[in-house]
Amino acid sequence: MTRRRRDRELQEEVEAHLRMAIRDRMERGQSREEASFAALAEFGNKGLVKEVTRDMWGWASLERLVQDFRYGARMLRKNLGFTVVVVLTLALGIGANTAIYSVTQAVLTPLAIPNAARVVIVWTENAKRDWHQFPASVPDYEDWKASGIFSSLGAVADGGFNLRLGDRTDRINGLKVTPEFFTAMAIQPHLGRAFQADDVKAGHSEVAILSDKIWHSRFGASPTVVGASIALDGVPYTIVGVLPKTFPVIGQEEIYEPFVFSADIVGVRGDRSFQVVGRIRDGVSLAAAQKQMADLETRLSRQNSEDAGNTVALQPIAEAAVEDIGAVLLVLFGAVGFVLLIACANIASLLLARGTARQREMALRSALGAGRWRICRQLLTESILLAVLGGLVAIVPSLLAIRFIVSFHLDEVPNFDLIALNSGVLIFNLALSVATGILFGLAPAWQAWKTNVGDTIKEASRSHSGGVHQRVRSLLAIGEIALTLILLVGAGLMLRSFERLRKDNPGFDPHNLLTVRIALSDRQYATPEKQTAFFERVMLQARSLPGVVGVSAADDLPANDDIHGSGLYFPDRPDPRPEDVRIVMRNSVTDGYFTTMRIPLIRGRYIDATDTANSAPVAMIDQWTAKRYWPNQDPVGKSLKLGKTKPALRIVGIVGNVDQGVLVKILKGQVGQVYLPVPQQPRPAMTVILRTAGNAESLIPAVRSLVRGIDIDQPIFQADTLENTRAAGRASQRLATSLLGSFAIVALMLAAIGIYGVIAYSVGQRTREFGIRMSLGAKRFDVLRLVVRQGLVLAAVGIAAGLAGALALTRLLSKLLFAVNATDPLTFIGVTALLGAVAAAASFLPAWRATRVDPAIALRCE
Amino acid sequence: MAKKDAYQNRIELLQGTLDMLILKTLQWGAQHGYGIIQAIRTTSSDVLQVETGSLYPALHRLERQGWLSSEWKQTDANQRAKFYRLTAAGKRQLAAEYERWTQLSAAIASIMTPEGDPL
Repeated sequence: MTRRRRDRELQEEVEAHLRMAIRDRMERGQSREEASFAALAEFGNKGLVKEVTRDMWGWASLERLVQDFRYGARMLRKNLGFTVVVVLTLALGIGANTAIYSVTQAVLTPLAIPNAARVVIVWTENAKRDWHQFPASVPDYEDWKASGIFSSLGAVADGGFNLRLGDRTDRINGLKVTPEFFTAMAIQPHLGRAFQADDVKAGHSEVAILSDKIWHSRFGASPTVVGASIALDGVPYTIVGVLPKTFPVIGQEEIYEPFVFSADIVGVRGDRSFQVVGRIRDGVSLAAAQKQMADLETRLSRQNSEDAGNTVALQPIAEAAVEDIGAVLLVLFGAVGFVLLIACANIASLLLARGTARQREMALRSALGAGRWRICRQLLTESILLAVLGGLVAIVPSLLAIRFIVSFHLDEVPNFDLIALNSGVLIFNLALSVATGILFGLAPAWQAWKTNVGDTIKEASRSHSGGVHQRVRSLLAIGEIALTLILLVGAGLMLRSFERLRKDNPGFDPHNLLTVRIALSDRQYATPEKQTAFFERVMLQARSLPGVVGVSAADDLPANDDIHGSGLYFPDRPDPRPEDVRIVMRNSVTDGYFTTMRIPLIRGRYIDATDTANSAPVAMIDQWTAKRYWPNQDPVGKSLKLGKTKPALRIVGIVGNVDQGVLVKILKGQVGQVYLPVPQQPRPAMTVILRTAGNAESLIPAVRSLVRGIDIDQPIFQADTLENTRAAGRASQRLATSLLGSFAIVALMLAAIGIYGVIAYSVGQRTREFGIRMSLGAKRFDVLRLVVRQGLVLAAVGIAAGLAGALALTRLLSKLLFAVNATDPLTFIGVTALLGAVAAAASFLPAWRATRVDPAIALRCE
Repeated sequence: MAKKDAYQNRIELLQGTLDMLILKTLQWGAQHGYGIIQAIRTTSSDVLQVETGSLYPALHRLERQGWLSSEWKQTDANQRAKFYRLTAAGKRQLAAEYERWTQLSAAIASIMTPEGDPL
């Protein structure tokens, strides 16, 4: 039976009922009028009776939903301006959430490793020596392998190649892996084979495996690439396999080579240079494996004094993958959640204001037989409709935001290539929209629920509004201000952290410095002499480039994440126990390094041209090291050793402290710094530093072709100004800062609108009051003060609540902060002032309008 | 509210009881909504007044559950009305509800007037 026929039938049924009732009454002697009136009165509310009866038809609810939606759509069309404002506000809020969700769902996409929970990284820990997630040594690896806890255990070390294809040479990130790495991952190459035991045996041939990415980008995804020969570091390698796209990337590696332990690390417990990844044997739980490894390590560290105090930690590889980005995502999700909540509060406030105006409509509907539930549901339907519209429009900003996020190339984020607006993200968008609609729709629904039909109709002639609604709107505004303050504090802290990075005096002059890295292949440049000669040539030619005022080279740059640490020993003191050995950072530098960097000499002399491979071994230290290890002494002329068995180095000078890399500081606090002359401590990979008179960045092409001219096989990489490198920090921090900053601005705008709305409405309500006040002699300024004060009281309460919240929440940020405390008073004060000013401005506008009220008109109106 | 006072002397129907009363009323033959209200009122000597807002939803629900069927017929007074009739399932339902009701009222009675109680 169709809905319409059923409706007609119900109508007839009701009519028949009434006819029979009237007829009965007339038979009892009542007049027709009396009978009709009494029958109708007895029957009750016809509309309501039909309504509740319709409820009993199974499919009624769906029909009514459609009806509600139609009605809602009509209402939204009728108030187009209102609809547009709300939809755009929502589009911002929901769009931001959708974008962050797309990152989260990509990051949380499980790794494509079979049984990934059993694959772990084996870290070395030593609380006494400040070791956290430390690499392993060859003896460690061999002992762990022999333990039987793992079905396969692989060793993994970062590597890099200079890949030459045709006449183009590029630096490619590589990974050295033992064959067990692939068995632990349990993923077969997409083409060809994985590494085998033969590949690491003596006399093995040079083989390489390609990642899916480089196979596409540089080899045209050719299926015949397996068996082909490529030049890596000037040496021919045979490609034996291509990994599938799903193969998890540990760093940024694109080419794999077999990891053959070099003679100088085999058997040396103190040389920790690689990571260990293994698959726990079947039938052994993670907890059991952890326990067995702990027992093993206790035994080993007792046997070997060098390992005293060492423990191991097994970290599931999936967990390691999201470790870095986890804090960023948490902060960003918090931020977008806040933005959406603020948007919801604004819209709820708008709806409450509009609900007051719609009270008569609601009263009419309820008099016509709509139940309270029905009206609430109708209002909720309208809200959800609004929110879903907002969600649809949100796709545009979320696409933009996703593109923005992707442009950061967050290499530390797993599955970064999966960040996209896919079906999962769209479902999230829809679900969030509906939830949002319900959230802000609760306010008007509650308002309608509380509305008394009789009272409203009685008061219908006056546009009076309940004080309750205004109180709720004030509360909403306070909530918005509190949330905005928290966001502003978060963004402020991140910005301050970056400002500190840029502005702090780093101990050198970071302006107009161009740095380029060159990693010589030790097969093409086998001896230190050859390596030194190459860099000498590069520096010599670079000096004659236009605009270059100084050139030098160093193993490491300050502001770099790499740590080259060594144990510090003193020839004139007894050797410390292994766990008491202090780590210092060492850096090999050419003789011009300190003048190029403008690092001041404090005592003694700089490393200079007299420090050659054949002269007495020397070192320089920084001021911090001098004070820390030679308190109240002059270290110049004294000696130090970098390693127990290493030769003594005579200290020839002390230089000023240099800001160490962000990461070094975060991980270890201040560490000593030792500088060594390149001729005595040559390195195959160095960073060439050019001090320029003008724009340093514009020199990059010239340097590139210069190095190419010397040896086409040696590409330059990481070419950037030192200022950029320092300011950049890690990409995820940069992304978090810019996103948090934009979210905070959006929140600030929304909060300003929220305050404005509440105050403007209240001014509208009090027009008569102001008229009376002014006709009784109040000055315009008095009215202004009255209104602005109302806004400032709201702001003050919101700010107080927000400060408490910020103090509690910004701790989550501390992982992302550098050189700024999570409770940095300057940020808190600045943000409070900013928000207070915005609140004052937002309430000033309606206040000013209140002063324009003409008392005569105000008193006459209504 | 004024309306409420008018009902004060009547007994509110226990939830679920209305279904049983409707089924019982229809045991004597097909009847329309108005007729059912009149029948319940007369039979209960004006104590039980079923409201239209309860009756019609109940009728439509019972029909959907298959305990009633309906058809449009002429009344004795030659008016068209929708008549409800007990189905076989409805008869079984009535028997079940009646049994439950007897048990329940006996149980309540034994609490309210224990043996030997003078009341």
